[in-house]
Amino acid sequence: MLLTLLREWMMTPFTHYRLFHNFAKQDFLAQFTASIGGFLWLIITPIIHIMIYAFVFGYLFKIRSAVGFEESTFVVFMMVGYLPWFAFADAIGKSTGILIEKAPLITKVKFPVQIIPVVGAVIPYLTHAIGFGILLVYLATQGYLNWMWFYLPFIFFFQFLFALGLVAILSALSVFLRDLQQLVALGITVWFFLTPIIWPISIIEDEAQRDIFLLNPMHSFVSLYREIVLQGQVTFIHLQIIIPVSLIVYFFGGWLFMKIKQAFGDVL
Amino acid sequence: MPRVSVQNLNKDFKIYERPQDRLFEIIQRKKRHQLFHVLSDISFAVPDGKSLGIIGDNGAGKSTLLKLLVGTLQPTSGEIAINGQVAALLELGAGFHPEFTGRKNIYLNAALLGVPDDNIAEMERDIIAFSELDYFIDRPVKTYSSGMYVRLAFSIATMVRPDILVIDEALSVGDMAFQKKCVQCMNEFRQQQKTMVFCSHSMFHVQELCDIAIWLDKGKIQEIGDSDKVVGHYEDFCNNKKTYSSIREDIPGELRASEAAQEKNVQDCRINSVAVKSLDGKDITTIKPLSDVLLEMEVEVLVDNMEGHFGFAFMKSAEEPIASFLTTNDDEIEIGSFAKGDVFKVSLVVEKVAMRVGEFYALGGLADKSGLLWYETKFSKLLAMEPNKGVGPMIMKCAWQLDKEG
Repeated sequence: MLLTLLREWMMTPFTHYRLFHNFAKQDFLAQFTASIGGFLWLIITPIIHIMIYAFVFGYLFKIRSAVGFEESTFVVFMMVGYLPWFAFADAIGKSTGILIEKAPLITKVKFPVQIIPVVGAVIPYLTHAIGFGILLVYLATQGYLNWMWFYLPFIFFFQFLFALGLVAILSALSVFLRDLQQLVALGITVWFFLTPIIWPISIIEDEAQRDIFLLNPMHSFVSLYREIVLQGQVTFIHLQIIIPVSLIVYFFGGWLFMKIKQAFGDVL
Repeated sequence: MPRVSVQNLNKDFKIYERPQDRLFEIIQRKKRHQLFHVLSDISFAVPDGKSLGIIGDNGAGKSTLLKLLVGTLQPTSGEIAINGQVAALLELGAGFHPEFTGRKNIYLNAALLGVPDDNIAEMERDIIAFSELDYFIDRPVKTYSSGMYVRLAFSIATMVRPDILVIDEALSVGDMAFQKKCVQCMNEFRQQQKTMVFCSHSMFHVQELCDIAIWLDKGKIQEIGDSDKVVGHYEDFCNNKKTYSSIREDIPGELRASEAAQEKNVQDCRINSVAVKSLDGKDITTIKPLSDVLLEMEVEVLVDNMEGHFGFAFMKSAEEPIASFLTTNDDEIEIGSFAKGDVFKVSLVVEKVAMRVGEFYALGGLADKSGLLWYETKFSKLLAMEPNKGVGPMIMKCAWQLDKEG
């Protein structure tokens, strides 16, 4: 029973490939239909983001590079962590609304509902992968390119699984508890500042206190991106954290969603 | 082998007073809901190639039954067996994305219904032709009229050639020409020995399109059988209902879950008696034309803080009023609030009754504060006008005079 549920959850994008494809295309394109800029926004948005952060942190605050990353400016250091976070935050932030938005469809048409959280996580990751890609291309021209970069897609994929699991949990629960919409929006902000993104972890001097932050998997993800992109190395402990955590959250989220999706029709 | 078969189906909705109660219930394991039985003990089977019509008042559970058949709701208990691919039209364009063109939505909808991609391209032309959308097919569906919406939705649902087609009142939106086309299409569908489940308030369509019909009343099967027979009995039942109780049927379907609460409202008060008297207080059953009569009803209040309006009417039959008298037009009469247990008499003097002939009833009624929702109505005994001379249905007080010039 458990295994059937999990297999169905895992295989959803493949067994219902066409529906998945159509939904994903629809949600992806819907961001741009009826706008003049269209796909240009995909490129413009991250560039503007990078520029405004460079202006504030690099020019106004004149923050120096973080310990261990002396080769890079602070803006580069920050953006390598910020852009993948952006994908994560976008997916989680939207998660509480995706089922409620599709309520007429869920109550009126029989289809594999679990496709909605999958699409809900894929679209932000696809969108922000473009921004991250732009940054990487820029960094490659600056001489950062190294063999370790081959690991980036794997890290990004595990981060996606982690987000997908959370999206499944939050979207399903928000059907029953609408307060989650506010809670999650608030939680994302808190999480952002508790993750060493606009501040380097080296700010915290006490070793033991620093280890507490390992409880935050996003810290591990952000650190991995930085180490790989900027230093060409990985800290093993971060890998040890993200792989099991991502898989557990992914499967638990899927199990929970598959388990309670039957009740959506009664509540929505 | 039946295409659709349902055994002892029950569906309850849990009604929570506050949304957070649902959560507390899980945590504390203490019951915090009231059960609302939407459907109880429904069993039927639709043989292959037959079509089923579902009729009944609003709130009888028709849409819930369809949703259970389609599978977007899960039964509380009981079995549903469906053999074959189902295409459902439960709501106008439920699967449509408003920003996208009709053409893109064809693909999206077909994917929802599980049609292989290469087949869609084939069907696309048929769908566009059938829906008569022509140039609009490449416009966003948000610009469509509701008629265009239903045309596109209906075309997709039928063109994907499902084994079982489930339709909830979709036809009422299209214009006459398209309705006719739909009926034709559904008839062809029947001739191909496919199964259709169809819910409608149009008795004509149910009779035309369905072999068997189910009449649902308050979640139970009142009657099942040949559609002609069931529709006849249902129409009969509707005609015999009290006029004003039919106002409740205007409650939209979305509020159906709250209807349990509405039901309670109806019990806010009771009319113990409605009497027609002469001015000196004697009960009468015949009225002399142009005489004054006293209409009286005794009302018992069953809840605290009830407010309401009173009304009397002369009714030829349950459907046909002759004259009405309402306190909504009169600011002087007390309308509450009344306390539980209050019993009072409301009386009205009607002066110079102007009917000349005929038999009719007096009707006493109580409406809510707004005067729109009638809590209860009650008929008096049959009244008759006393025989008199003259022609025509009315008589009027008049004064003759004859003046002779000089």
